[in-house]
Amino acid sequence: MINGNLKASYAADERVLNNTYKQTFVYGMMLALALFAGFANDYMILIACKMGILLIAVVGVNILTGYTGLVSLGHGAFVAIGAYSVTMLENGLTGIVPESLTIFVVLPLAVAITAVVGVFVGLPSLRVKGLYLAVATLAANFIVIFLIEQDAFAPWTGGVVGINTHDANILGWVLDTNREMFVLIAVVAFVSLLAAQNLIRTRVGRAFIAIRDRDYSAEILGISLLRYKLTSFALSAAYCGLAGAMFAYFYSRILPEQFELDLSLELVAALIVGGMGRTMGPVFGVMIIVMMPEVIKVFAAYFTGGDAASARYIAPLQEIAFGLLLVFFLLKEPLGINHITDRILRAANRWPFARG
Amino acid sequence: MGQFTQFAINGLMSGAIYALIAVGIVSVYKATKVVNFAHGYLIMFGAYFYFTFSVIVPGQSWAPDWLASWQPAWLLEMREGLPMFSPMGAVLDWVQNVPRILLGIAGALVCNAIVGRIIERTLMRPLMGQSIFAMIMVTVGLISIMSGAASIIWTADADFVPHIAPNAPIRFELFGTMIFLFGADLVNMIVALLIFAGIVLMVRYTKSGVAIRATAEDQSTAYSMGISVPKVFSRAWVLASTTGAIAGAILATRNGISPSLGLFGFSVLAIVLMGGLDSYIGVFLAAMAVGVMEALTQWRMGGDWAEIVPYVAVLLILLIRPHGLFGSKEVERI
Repeated sequence: MINGNLKASYAADERVLNNTYKQTFVYGMMLALALFAGFANDYMILIACKMGILLIAVVGVNILTGYTGLVSLGHGAFVAIGAYSVTMLENGLTGIVPESLTIFVVLPLAVAITAVVGVFVGLPSLRVKGLYLAVATLAANFIVIFLIEQDAFAPWTGGVVGINTHDANILGWVLDTNREMFVLIAVVAFVSLLAAQNLIRTRVGRAFIAIRDRDYSAEILGISLLRYKLTSFALSAAYCGLAGAMFAYFYSRILPEQFELDLSLELVAALIVGGMGRTMGPVFGVMIIVMMPEVIKVFAAYFTGGDAASARYIAPLQEIAFGLLLVFFLLKEPLGINHITDRILRAANRWPFARG
Repeated sequence: MGQFTQFAINGLMSGAIYALIAVGIVSVYKATKVVNFAHGYLIMFGAYFYFTFSVIVPGQSWAPDWLASWQPAWLLEMREGLPMFSPMGAVLDWVQNVPRILLGIAGALVCNAIVGRIIERTLMRPLMGQSIFAMIMVTVGLISIMSGAASIIWTADADFVPHIAPNAPIRFELFGTMIFLFGADLVNMIVALLIFAGIVLMVRYTKSGVAIRATAEDQSTAYSMGISVPKVFSRAWVLASTTGAIAGAILATRNGISPSLGLFGFSVLAIVLMGGLDSYIGVFLAAMAVGVMEALTQWRMGGDWAEIVPYVAVLLILLIRPHGLFGSKEVERI
């Protein structure tokens, strides 16, 4: 029902969570996640970990595509760089830094490396937009994966066959089970989501939105396109690097083919399905994109009785469903699931008066 | 020089095929302002349709024998007493395959045209006037749908497909070096160049070509001048999918049939952006240049470096000339 979100001071208006609904929601989600970590079964934990890793990356894509309006089809490369930097740094620092402290050196370094690469990949964005930028980032993705696969770098990257990764070790606490990793991933994902929500209310975030709405107008208003477009690329690459780091800690082995174009498209698809330029968009999108293949697997097993001959249809069906989902949302609900929840919440808020 | 000429000629031959693929992307862009990321997968469909009609269908028990292998009396007579691996033998081998090659190409053209038509009607037309981003992403979604569909439909292991021309080896001397070519590659190049030239002339001189150019210039004005814009759209898509079918048939004979044919689309997309999205000439030059550069990279640095040549080239060109070599600059108004 309608009741006011009254604010008595500017400080109250400027808070990250500027009304009680948001605060309640955030604390509620914290509690829910804590309960989930304690009581969910292993399968649910596995799925939730996948979601968490993807979520961090999609939040990064959201900053670039959703808030700054720059299209990228190459963010899989940033995830790759994050994952590979963590693994290579862990290998390189063995014996130099005590094991219980490595993560505190490696994680920031990996994120910083990814951000720097992000700035370089973002350079074309100063001259080209839209489609041209999409192809430029796509080209960058191909080149990065190609370099990782090169035999010349194989002593460090493992080449085509991939490389074994380390377990995360936080002050002596080795996260060697999925459940322990879930705690780390959930905390990191939660913090990065809040950080993104915080970002868009700052000067930088508002500059991003101005650039998205019309870049030349933004420039006339005194926003340096050079500075903010590259900042946006660096930030979103940093998020993807963080996701890559979690990826490396979570799986026991990483392969270059995991970070190819498919991953980049999955990130953008999750963002579109969830809703671009909204904080909760990535959350909804990632849930759908990760759940959909699992649901298809379950249905297929139910209808065919788990017979092996039909199992080969599952992967193509998942692929088709992914494409259909993307096309459906673009044609029918371009603002994503977030727009659907918005409508529902608005109707609830106005009840019993206007609906819709 | 020696090797250089040989590799440059190989490069020109693959460049011609790039140009043939690129013409589909450019035509669709000119008419509808959609850049088709899934064009590579249309080509893959073309290749699979060619495979279906030239290998699977003639192999069925209900198909007449002459379809699988045409052996009229005069052919058998000519074969008598020919030495092994002679050029004439290669031509006769090809003659024997002609019926199924023709069936394969006809089938690929028709089926791909239908696929292109369906895509245009169901996915592209509802998007008229939407943002570039939405249109790109719909074609990206199409990639998943098409590659998933292909692996459900064509389960048979990819087999040998007949070359569309006699595959006799050709040797000749150029600039003092022996050049060694395969006849089929040469014919492929000529076919690709003829189709490319035909489409450029069609767009320039025929009535439907003028309609495409008018639509490219300004959709609503074209509409009010009596041009049926939706018809132009579907024609452009059919054009793209039929040229894609031929490119697919050619690629199937060169590289074999596999789902990775779809990835060709991305390198050709890079080529198209290098040349300029709306310029046939620019795209032709870029395709030839990339073909030659790839062949030279293959010669100097090994085969796997060749695959990233288009991507490195497009990044460099975009940094220097944001709208490609010959692309027209977009005028933006605030």
